[in-house]
Amino acid sequence: MSSILEYIPDWSVFGQALAALLIAIVVNRLYHKADAFVRRGKAIGKSGKSGKSGKSDKAGHSRSVLAASGPGAFPKFEPGAVPESEPEPFSGDYESDLQAILDSIGRNSDFRFRTFPMAKLNRQAALFWVDGMQNDRILNLQLMQFLMFEATIEAMEAPISPGDVLPFESLARCPERGGFKRCVLFGHAGLLIEGVPYGFLIQFPDAAGRAVAEPVSEALLRGPRLGFSEVLSENTSMLRRQGFGTSLEMINYKVGTRLTKDLVLAYFKDIVNPDLLRDVEDRVSKLDFDFFGESGYVEQLIEDNTLSPFQQAQNTERPDRVINALLEGRIAILLDGTPFALIVPATFSMLLQSPEDYYERWLPSSLLRLLRFLAAFMALMAPALYISLISFHPGLIPTELAISIIETRQGVPFPSLIEVLILEVSIEILREAGIRLPKPVGPAMGIVGGLIIGDAAVQAGIVSPFLVIVVAVTAISSFSIPTYSAGITLRILRFAGMLFAAILGMFGTILFFLLLCSHLTKLKSFGVPYVTPISPFRIQDWKDLFIRAPLSLMKRRPAMLKPRDNTRRP
Amino acid sequence: MFVRTDDKITSSQAVVFLTNTVLGAGILTMPRGITQAMKTPDSWLTILVGGMVVMLVILLMVKLGQQFPGKTVFQYSAIIAGRIPGGLLSLLLIGYFISVAGFEIRSLAEVTLFFLLEGTPMWAIVIPFIWAGAYLVSGGINSIARVYQIVFPITIFVLLLSFAVSFRLFDIDNLRPVLGSGLPPVMKGLKSSILVYAGCEVVLTLVAFMQYPQQAVKAMLGGIAIPFGLYLLTVVFVVGGLSIDSVMTSAWPTIDLIRSFEVTGFFVERLEFPLMVVWLMQMFCNFCSFFFQSSLGLSQVFKLPFPAVLLGMVPVIYLAAMVPKSLEDVFGLGDEIGKMSLVLFMLIPVMLSLVWLVRKKGRIAHG
Repeated sequence: MSSILEYIPDWSVFGQALAALLIAIVVNRLYHKADAFVRRGKAIGKSGKSGKSGKSDKAGHSRSVLAASGPGAFPKFEPGAVPESEPEPFSGDYESDLQAILDSIGRNSDFRFRTFPMAKLNRQAALFWVDGMQNDRILNLQLMQFLMFEATIEAMEAPISPGDVLPFESLARCPERGGFKRCVLFGHAGLLIEGVPYGFLIQFPDAAGRAVAEPVSEALLRGPRLGFSEVLSENTSMLRRQGFGTSLEMINYKVGTRLTKDLVLAYFKDIVNPDLLRDVEDRVSKLDFDFFGESGYVEQLIEDNTLSPFQQAQNTERPDRVINALLEGRIAILLDGTPFALIVPATFSMLLQSPEDYYERWLPSSLLRLLRFLAAFMALMAPALYISLISFHPGLIPTELAISIIETRQGVPFPSLIEVLILEVSIEILREAGIRLPKPVGPAMGIVGGLIIGDAAVQAGIVSPFLVIVVAVTAISSFSIPTYSAGITLRILRFAGMLFAAILGMFGTILFFLLLCSHLTKLKSFGVPYVTPISPFRIQDWKDLFIRAPLSLMKRRPAMLKPRDNTRRP
Repeated sequence: MFVRTDDKITSSQAVVFLTNTVLGAGILTMPRGITQAMKTPDSWLTILVGGMVVMLVILLMVKLGQQFPGKTVFQYSAIIAGRIPGGLLSLLLIGYFISVAGFEIRSLAEVTLFFLLEGTPMWAIVIPFIWAGAYLVSGGINSIARVYQIVFPITIFVLLLSFAVSFRLFDIDNLRPVLGSGLPPVMKGLKSSILVYAGCEVVLTLVAFMQYPQQAVKAMLGGIAIPFGLYLLTVVFVVGGLSIDSVMTSAWPTIDLIRSFEVTGFFVERLEFPLMVVWLMQMFCNFCSFFFQSSLGLSQVFKLPFPAVLLGMVPVIYLAAMVPKSLEDVFGLGDEIGKMSLVLFMLIPVMLSLVWLVRKKGRIAHG
């Protein structure tokens, strides 16, 4: 009995056990609180929350197939997503309608209107437009000429095929004044004719845009040089231009409650898994925010885990990357006003793959891909390994190397964590500054920052030259990651790894790695495990993971996305 | 079905799960434990015999589990033996899992303190490790199995590499004479060799989590065959490389073997560093298995929510790990665990199967 009692640990051990429990409970509670807190405003949630779905129904997201309006059909104009007030139909009385429109939007300085008589009809009419959104020449010469001297009411109102009679590429009837005003302000040309109880919208907006250019954030040596632009219709057309075929489907959504924008889901309808598509559609239709400035807004509101440092949707500027992802069975989300498309679901291996891998021959591609995995590992772990090896286990590295490193560290007055932090933080600042600087100044700052400061820091004895090598290799490694946002993730995690290493040495570094693995295996992007095909293990998908197998062997689409049609070639 | 909602694992995940559960501290200590008991170089024979015995045991456990699809031992023991005896059996098993978890984490702490972090207080190693384990285990069996799938190939690679490089020290004479003292020492070592397979009891619950339980026999035998082969390899290389005299006097013979040579011209001259790294990761997996099993058992026996039990287990496992006072106590605890696993084996699979058979026969006779 006494021998058993002997083994009961001290009170201090019980105290430690209690502390371990309490801290675990507190951290657990905090995590769940934080998770619930950030989840509240998101588009995804537990299904069955009636309040959320009811609200989004009221927001009235309209959905339409882009190609739905066939030739000849009178395209029924869909007013934007949200009626700002009660619908106010046109009264039919020209004077009062004109006055109402001028009263509500006439104060805008860029708003233009002109009243004119229609010669053949002998009626008054008014044309509204916004500065800069219409080609003035067409407006003046063709539209006005036609309207003033040629148009008859029969032509304007031919019930069956107005497109045949009217020389406009688009003509929509708008029965409601609110929608009419919104469309005019968005850039349509609006027409109001005496005695007609609705407004016409003629001509699509034609605002200034930028020329299509090479994607800035994802440069390639070999491959298409085309990048997305800010105009949604240009972007969708780039996807269509990739090849003939009818199975690429694009569905339009209206998002944003105050300023409404177009959002397009693109996918191959005979490849994509229907359950995945339903999930994405569900989340997109529940988007509830007043303005979507960039596809990042969409990404953050539909992702599964807000607290994770890893992105769960991939952004890209490259149409070829999008189309390749679609062919794997993924779904693309394109938003008007941004050149960045989102690809969902994203998996970890995607972040380290470049479209070039498929364009080059398989051997160099495979080796480059392995190199990128190595670089990602170094970008994540190199400083942590440095700290743990130098501060804790110099005995584990070859003796001569250890001696020479320790000699160079002789004059350094700081522990290795502080030493690494000094250099790492200054490198991060340099990078951040380099992005903001105008192009001609950038290289100059690189020289001042990188070379001069690095050299001077060593001369001054603040850091050791070996560390400069480590930090420089780390920084360069993180540049080699093809997705910029994935590089940021690794940069954040690198600092976490350094802290672990500073506290517990190699043991802490391993713990950090294991925690990272645990987190990654728990993470899902739209139901797809993030680290598949490593785990869950899918051997057939390994052909396109660390190596890129010869194209002749890639007969199947990735099994992880459970596509409807999984053969690329028989 | 696109999104998986059931918490099931595939057969390959089950294989890795069992392998990672069995492959634990034993890989560092096992050559010494067995050789000390036998005092002859025939330890590899013992591992062979022990492995065969354990395979039979596993076969029995799988067959028993397959009678109750989707149910773990904590649930079907109550069906077979009645609520209270079944509950007591389950509690015994849970206690066993907790003590194994404590033992594994304590061995890890001892090794870490000895080789990596001298002078660090024990709690600073044990508690973060338990926390990290709790984070993983809270994801359920699927997350655990996935981490195992990541760690397992790394472990195997480094382990095989270390052994391959240590081949230069291998001397076949160290393993001779075969059966120099006849069979009795082999039988004496059998008890210790069963200890290294401690943990194979997870089969009792693992079958319930398999997506295709009909493949369980193949998966479980495959899962035990991998550690079986690795242990055999370990004991052959360690005894062959170090000779039984130095194996018996060293606390961690496998590390000593790897430390005893240098690979010149390589970035890390001694492979002990990568070996330590993968061994730590392996211990994490190993520990998480027992952590998961014991929490699962408690939550199923007392019908408590799993996350709450999981948090409650944190201090319990910490205390279990802190019970041994010295390294000798840790090894003593290891021996006790070996004995306990024998007792549990008699109690749970054998007795439950017998009771089940009797009841089934009775039902057929009466029905």
